[in-house]
Amino acid sequence: MLEALEGSAAVARAVARCRPGVVAAYPITPQTHIVENISKLVADGKLHTELVSVESEFSAASVALGASAAGSRAYTASSSQGILLMTEVLFNISGMRLPVVLTCANRAIGAPINIWNDHSDSMAVRDCGWIQLHCADNQEAVDTSIQAFRIAEAAELPVMVCMDGFVLTHTLETLEIPDQDMVDQYLPPFHFGRMLDPRNPLSLGTLVGPEYFSETRHLAHQALLDAASIIVDADRQWQELSGRSAGGLLTVEGPKDARIGVLAMGSLVSTFRAAMEGTQTSAPGRLINLRAFRPLPVDSLRQACDGLSDLVVVDRAISPGFGGVLGGEIRAALSGMTQAPRIHNVAIGLGGRDVPMEMWGRLLNVPAEDAGFRILDLEPAKLGDAS
Amino acid sequence: MPTPMNRGAFAQAGSSLAFKTGTWRSAKPVHVHATAPCHGACPAGEDQQAWLALLQEGKPQQAWERLVTTNPLPAISGRVCPHPCESACNRGQYDQPIAIHGIERWLGDEAIRHNWPYPRRAGDARPERVAVVGAGPAGLSAAYHLAQRKFNVVLFDSLPEPGGLLRSAIPPTRLPRSIIDAEIGRLLSLGIEFRPRTALGRDVSLDDLRSEFDAVFLGIGAGKSRHWDVDGAVPADLHEGLALLREWLAVGALPHPNAVVIHGGGNTAVDLARIMRRAGVRDVHVVTASGLPGPGTESDDVLNVVPRELEQAIEEGVQFHPHRTINRLIMRGSKVVGVEMVRLKKLPDGNGHKARVSFEGTETVLHVDMVVPAIGEVVDPTGLEAILRQKDYLGVDRFGQVNGHPGLFAGGDARDGIKGHSSGTVSAAIGDGRRAAEGIDALLSGRDADEEKRPALPYTALNLSYYESSPRIELSTLPLEKRDDSSEIEGGPNTVDALAEAQRCFSCGNCLACDNCWTLCPDNAVLKTMETASDGSHYLFDYDFCKGCGLCAKECPCGFIAMSEDE
Amino acid sequence: MNQTPNDPRSRQPRFRGLEAGHRACQGCGEALAARLVTEAAGPDVILTNATGCLEVFTTSWPQSAWRVPWLHSLFENSAAIASGVEAALKAQGRRSKVIAMGGDGGTFDIGFQALSGMLERMHNVLYVCYDNEAYMNTGIQRSSSTPHAAMTTTSPPGKERMGKRHLKKDLLSIIAAHHIPYAASASVAYPQDLRRKVRRAMEIDGPTFLLVHSPCPLGWGHDGSETIQVARLAVQCGLFPLVELERGEVASVMPLRQKAPVTEYLRLQTRFRHLFVDDDHRAREEREHLQALADYNVERYGLTGDGDDPFDADGADTVRRGGPARA
Repeated sequence: MLEALEGSAAVARAVARCRPGVVAAYPITPQTHIVENISKLVADGKLHTELVSVESEFSAASVALGASAAGSRAYTASSSQGILLMTEVLFNISGMRLPVVLTCANRAIGAPINIWNDHSDSMAVRDCGWIQLHCADNQEAVDTSIQAFRIAEAAELPVMVCMDGFVLTHTLETLEIPDQDMVDQYLPPFHFGRMLDPRNPLSLGTLVGPEYFSETRHLAHQALLDAASIIVDADRQWQELSGRSAGGLLTVEGPKDARIGVLAMGSLVSTFRAAMEGTQTSAPGRLINLRAFRPLPVDSLRQACDGLSDLVVVDRAISPGFGGVLGGEIRAALSGMTQAPRIHNVAIGLGGRDVPMEMWGRLLNVPAEDAGFRILDLEPAKLGDAS
Repeated sequence: MPTPMNRGAFAQAGSSLAFKTGTWRSAKPVHVHATAPCHGACPAGEDQQAWLALLQEGKPQQAWERLVTTNPLPAISGRVCPHPCESACNRGQYDQPIAIHGIERWLGDEAIRHNWPYPRRAGDARPERVAVVGAGPAGLSAAYHLAQRKFNVVLFDSLPEPGGLLRSAIPPTRLPRSIIDAEIGRLLSLGIEFRPRTALGRDVSLDDLRSEFDAVFLGIGAGKSRHWDVDGAVPADLHEGLALLREWLAVGALPHPNAVVIHGGGNTAVDLARIMRRAGVRDVHVVTASGLPGPGTESDDVLNVVPRELEQAIEEGVQFHPHRTINRLIMRGSKVVGVEMVRLKKLPDGNGHKARVSFEGTETVLHVDMVVPAIGEVVDPTGLEAILRQKDYLGVDRFGQVNGHPGLFAGGDARDGIKGHSSGTVSAAIGDGRRAAEGIDALLSGRDADEEKRPALPYTALNLSYYESSPRIELSTLPLEKRDDSSEIEGGPNTVDALAEAQRCFSCGNCLACDNCWTLCPDNAVLKTMETASDGSHYLFDYDFCKGCGLCAKECPCGFIAMSEDE
Repeated sequence: MNQTPNDPRSRQPRFRGLEAGHRACQGCGEALAARLVTEAAGPDVILTNATGCLEVFTTSWPQSAWRVPWLHSLFENSAAIASGVEAALKAQGRRSKVIAMGGDGGTFDIGFQALSGMLERMHNVLYVCYDNEAYMNTGIQRSSSTPHAAMTTTSPPGKERMGKRHLKKDLLSIIAAHHIPYAASASVAYPQDLRRKVRRAMEIDGPTFLLVHSPCPLGWGHDGSETIQVARLAVQCGLFPLVELERGEVASVMPLRQKAPVTEYLRLQTRFRHLFVDDDHRAREEREHLQALADYNVERYGLTGDGDDPFDADGADTVRRGGPARA
């Protein structure tokens, strides 16, 4: 049944369908509506979960860690500074191979403080060992949230579902919340083999010295790589049940013969999809929607770029002193590819700056401009003498 | 093969047992069953700590059985012993010593009341025959321990009844006759043949005994008063203290002077003084070269009397003149009218010995009409002339064998001093009898005599944090006005008091099963056993894991754990 | 592991929550405290552990000394992961008790917020702080629990300083202000009292807190064999009062039958060595200061006084020779 729902409410409903045992969260804009909606579901008796209203994001992640180790399906959500405050715990959750699911309502990081959307937060925790999946629209956010638990529990790895703050979280869309039976059919009850249990008293979170640390790191890396096929399977099976794919590892859209490609993540993809539909006049371009940022699907990326002369990688986060984070990653991923496209990297939409549909045409023109990395929607007049 | 890394690096419960921290250790804890000071000080060789522990467990009969493995006469010794155990008791440095003698007496009386039998040592009957001469404390003890070792024992005594000085020299006010009868009766019923009215040198010769028996023990006491005069002067009607005491005990006869001075500082002097005082003699003086117990008196210079007897004597009006001797008899004709005393003290003589030095100018006079010497007794040489050779006592080794006479043993008041052993008390005699039984057994078994030797436990080895101050029980004494010639003056504790008093024992040097080592080991390296471990405790050290921190040794209340260098 | 059914280790008449083979220093007070706490708590528990000595010396992979489920995450989140474990147990309908553990660094300082949150949310968790009064795992740096004037590597004495300048944080009062059902201080020197307090806390459905004074021979500078003696004197001089608080109110105290002078306690430890320099007037002043702090505790909690304290269940641990202290 189709409903018109705000993104946050939709995600809250989707998470509720997954029957989490423990939800812990601390409010932060723009994640707040998710927590508020879950709280309301709990208050109305529509969700039976232990909702722990913690005193910080640090504790939110910690509670999720403890709950997961104790054998409960655990969920949390945050944004921006909250993600950073969680950082230490995020590394811990993945290091202990705990299948926690977290929604990151993507937001810029201060200073200066800014509550609007970009990808600086999830990019800042790029190396924390989590699966990171990006959502182009709220239906994808709903479907990815459900898939996230299945992926997390199959891979015994935590999953971060990234959805753009405000753009998705606060936007009303017509979408479908799968019914409970379907989700139950898709998502078996959580069973954690290493669960904290007095009947089998294991010690979790031990000290590992130099003689074994490299092996733990190798295994963590391998686990993330292996998760790629789990993500694909999860999406395929969800599609079989619901009729909808949430994008697998990535999707390739647009004319097959396009020579210029644009790679983007999150809600920009929706903007560009709309642009592609609406502006027949502009030059044909291929849109690569990268859903899985971690693990980074190198082989799929190379296939997606097949036949392209140029690829414009669109970043919503920068690594000062280097350039776009995603740009650097894609460059590395395609390096050594035979007939690799020329790669161009720009950043747009930082700190919530609006990205209009016209940006699609502008991006397709980037190869012709043949400049290095830059913030494409920068307004030089506003710089003054600040430099 | 290295352990394969698992998902998330988890570990199995208790897997640390694979990591043996015992290799870190440089010193290891060991159980040391040291000698409690009471045990070390006991002339009879009793391990008071051991039987007090059984009493603490609420096992009076087992406590008594443990007691009589060394001393078969606890109801007697509990009454007459000057209890050096209590002087040595570590608790004395903390608050007050355990009233060991009172508990011993109570156990002895309980045994009589319930007719508890002696526990019998296991073993086959021995063919050898041993003669024991003298049925006093030394002879009785020797006979008992020899009988326990399954020897054929014949016990001789010149008197019709066994007991020796227990009957002849200790007043019933200190030792009721019923107690003597009960304990000695039980002892003789172990199968000891008793031959009364058989005096050495009169009815039987030492040579006869030596040829008839495989070994002979002489517990003949010191029955002859030491010669006494003052610069050669002796009153015409001189009565010796011991003779007076025996006469009074036997027939109730006593001289009645107006004022008497008794010269001597032992039990005979004090017992006689009290009897004469109670019999109505106005002034009874005791002049002794020893000092009264107190801060100014060194331990080797104290009056050799049970301290509480001394107190009672003073209560009863006996006047003591310590650190004095009689310098001169003041005579009118051959009759004494007074004595001149002078102060003296035992002082180092510069040659490593101590000698008594009298101080000129401290002379004082006592007006008395009778002087009674009670300066001690020596062995009656009758029948022993060849052995004694003019000496006062028999010289013996540690196990009582008379020097130069293999197979002939002696103990009690008849023997000469032995380094490390006290003399002159009932308990010392009991100890002599026990050691002589070991000496005889060893001789007849063709082995060396042996005695358990354990290190002593000093007060400083205790951890006093685990004890609480608690006063010693009060023991009753017959009020002055009720004292007569036959009623026992001292009372024993009741059951409640005796058991409570036993609880005060610090258990010096022995495990009291407090669990401290087990509770306080940070490394779980002390294990508790259901059964008693080989060292008598309920705890084992797991040296695989013990890191040697020494915490258990430090926190053991009773000094049962020591740290020793690890190899 | 290496055990046969007849091995005396496997037949101990007590639960072994913390097994041998852990790597604590000789005479470690924290190891002892953790052993006693887990022993008293029994097998039906789940532990969480802040980063610190206890975590390091018990779980060096692939080995663990714990015989109960145990979870370590970070330095500052023991209370928070315990909250999560407890929430999960509640969600699953399991009834095991959760015990969160940490040192004074992870409790007084870096984990303080998580602890406060846990208490405020009324999780059914017993939080045990093993207080050894400094950051020992990192090499003896001051914490807010370090006593005044104590020497640590970050509060060294010198020409301008006499050890730590500030006071020991009164954590128990802050805990009490959360109005939780039960909070208490305990000491390894009084294991019977400690176990009783653990059992008391275990019975309560709600947050409880236990502060256990646990000497560190290395950090405090005393011999490993003296751990109990030092801990005992800390209590007996009044510097570490043993108290119980119910809903923030003092419910009982362990009375001091014989108050020891603080110097007796200080003198045993090299961390107070600079307070015994003969010709330094500052040393005298600091000794007096510490004595005054002890006296303040004694007065504040009424540690001495006439007669029996009706709340004093056990009193000092003794082997009860000499009969009961009070007939």
